Amino acid sequence: MHATARVKLGIAASAVAVALAVTGCTGDGGSEKPASDPIVIGISLPLTGDFAEPGKGVQRGYEAWAKIVNDQGGLLGRKIELKILDDQSNADRVVADYEQLIGRDKVDLVFGPFSTRLVVPAGRVAEEYGMLFVEPAGAAAQVFEQGFKNLFYAAPAVAGDHYNHLAKHILALPADRRPKTAAYAAMDDPFAQGTAYGLKAKLEAGGITTVVNEVYPPNTTDFGGIAAKIAASKADIVVGGSQYQDGVNLIVALQQLNYQPKLAAFSTAPTNPEFAKAIGNKTEGILAPTGYTNKAKYPSNLEFVEKYKAQFGTEPEEDEANAYTTGQVVAAAVKAVGCAEQGECQKKLVDWLRTNKVETVVGPLSWDAQGRPQGAHMIQQWAGGDIQIVLPEDVKEAGFIYPKPAW
Amino acid sequence: MPSGGLLLQSVVLGLLLGGLYALLAAGLTLYFGIMRVVMIAHSAFLILAAYVAWWFNVRTGLDPLLSLAGTVPLFFVTGVAMQRLLLARLRPATLTMMSVLLTFAIALFIEGMLGYLFTGTQRRIQLAYSASSLDLFGARIAVVKLIAFGLAGAALLGLYLLLKHSRFGWALRATIQHRDAARLAGIDTDRVAGYGFGLGLATAAIGGTALALDATVYPSLHWHWIGPLMAIIVVGGLGSIPGAAIAAMVLGMAQSLLQIPLGTTWAQTVFYLALFATLALRPQGFFGGRLAQRF
Repeated sequence: MHATARVKLGIAASAVAVALAVTGCTGDGGSEKPASDPIVIGISLPLTGDFAEPGKGVQRGYEAWAKIVNDQGGLLGRKIELKILDDQSNADRVVADYEQLIGRDKVDLVFGPFSTRLVVPAGRVAEEYGMLFVEPAGAAAQVFEQGFKNLFYAAPAVAGDHYNHLAKHILALPADRRPKTAAYAAMDDPFAQGTAYGLKAKLEAGGITTVVNEVYPPNTTDFGGIAAKIAASKADIVVGGSQYQDGVNLIVALQQLNYQPKLAAFSTAPTNPEFAKAIGNKTEGILAPTGYTNKAKYPSNLEFVEKYKAQFGTEPEEDEANAYTTGQVVAAAVKAVGCAEQGECQKKLVDWLRTNKVETVVGPLSWDAQGRPQGAHMIQQWAGGDIQIVLPEDVKEAGFIYPKPAW
Repeated sequence: MPSGGLLLQSVVLGLLLGGLYALLAAGLTLYFGIMRVVMIAHSAFLILAAYVAWWFNVRTGLDPLLSLAGTVPLFFVTGVAMQRLLLARLRPATLTMMSVLLTFAIALFIEGMLGYLFTGTQRRIQLAYSASSLDLFGARIAVVKLIAFGLAGAALLGLYLLLKHSRFGWALRATIQHRDAARLAGIDTDRVAGYGFGLGLATAAIGGTALALDATVYPSLHWHWIGPLMAIIVVGGLGSIPGAAIAAMVLGMAQSLLQIPLGTTWAQTVFYLALFATLALRPQGFFGGRLAQRF
């Protein structure tokens, strides 16, 4: 079987193409433009500033998607052309960027930027212009409370649901093994806070006392004080609502104080390929929710991982995958409806996504009326220098280690 | 009520942080003492030195502390050149105000260059001993923070000895106290002022390297530092180095302790509250301050 992986991949890829073509039949109006006219997709990304690291990951994902689609002849017979601007992680810039892309450059479609703080203002611009707005990284609750009608989040779950599997597992432990106290530290950022507070709400309801609850500004670099509070509380578990660098800094500060919790969970940071090196390989037992793993067996993911590796030389991570998913979701709608331009077409794309399910690299996605995807994240854990899926049971690669070994 | 262990830990962290503030504020207050110059770019040079330390470590794999051998002399020369070529040419009547604009431009230039060369990505030096710590009556002292504190302490002591016990130090202090009188006594105040400026910038080189050991750096980080440093030198009394050092230790400690009841976000405001209180109640500052009063 393994010897024919390449053949299988080819079959899988064609199966996806067929599947997309079949779903596309429903709305195929035959209104395709001449092949010479590319589909221009406008995107603003934080390529510098606070979110530069994940922002570049998202850029790679979009570029991989455009290349794969173009290599297969484009969308509706038209080539894909990405127009990417740098918003410097700045909410004012992101608004100006999308105004320019939609209003002046007259792009045919837009994709979302990275992170809630930029997705909300960008989504508002897209809404004003009536553009379909599929975004790879706005998972916080407030994204879906703005009354946006054109927004879809292209990932398995919203921030508050990331830790659902972990919460269920902890609360199912026998009473004598269950942790009794928890410490939370979250960046003053809707996504980062959303993940930590989603878990906090569930654990508090399950009787686990909150002993520390800290919020720090996004530009914090000194975590000594926060770490001191957490270490002094001797909390059984520590949960970090982190992006990347703050998570690294907080973990190092906790290790400097020799704090040894029974369980440590941090959002985003531990899944970054640089993570282990950044904290000097003291990763033992650290948990992280993830919406994506490049080992997932979904057919389009096999194609994505192989072609991504050929293009960039490394395996794709979550940011790249969510960006790629965004491309897949929009492409599915475009194929189904048979158009990609500003105006009437955008409304048709929105309506189609509202009522259909799309097969993606993170599995099948469908959305509620506010654009929330209907799923939960997998939980990964570091053990022996490697990060593996430990929850939920049906997709796990390794057993859940609790209490965690010393870091 | 916070536990004794947490209080002790916060005091230790406050002391370590205060030491770094003290060194940086010493440089900043030195510029003001010598020339009545408000040096907005001081913290930008601080971040520049941190970047050099990071880059040195990435390229050579050697300990970032070794980069001091290059940055300290380089920053000293840069400081002398900046004073002689740029600041000395400003009109004395508007010197203080114009120096704000000039050094603001230099800060923006450094920030832009760093962003251009190294992008806005946050950087952190990866050291084998970055998570190691020592035990002190139950409180933990991170090795990297201790090294940073040691560097700051040694640099401050060196600065103190230089100013108190060398001919150059006497000349510099005479220039700070009364420029015209110093010149009458035969001191080449222009040259002394240039060296003094270089000395101030050299403290930024040491401080930046110390900072890089245990913190993430990014090009715009200097705006985060200049506010607290300005507040420290006003509270300490403009131009007074011991005043700056004492104010730095007190405010660094206050920030660390206030984090317990207030959290990280509000604890930062202690610097500005101290600044407002000082300007309202004792504008010449709490320590030293004779100079600021006259100014």
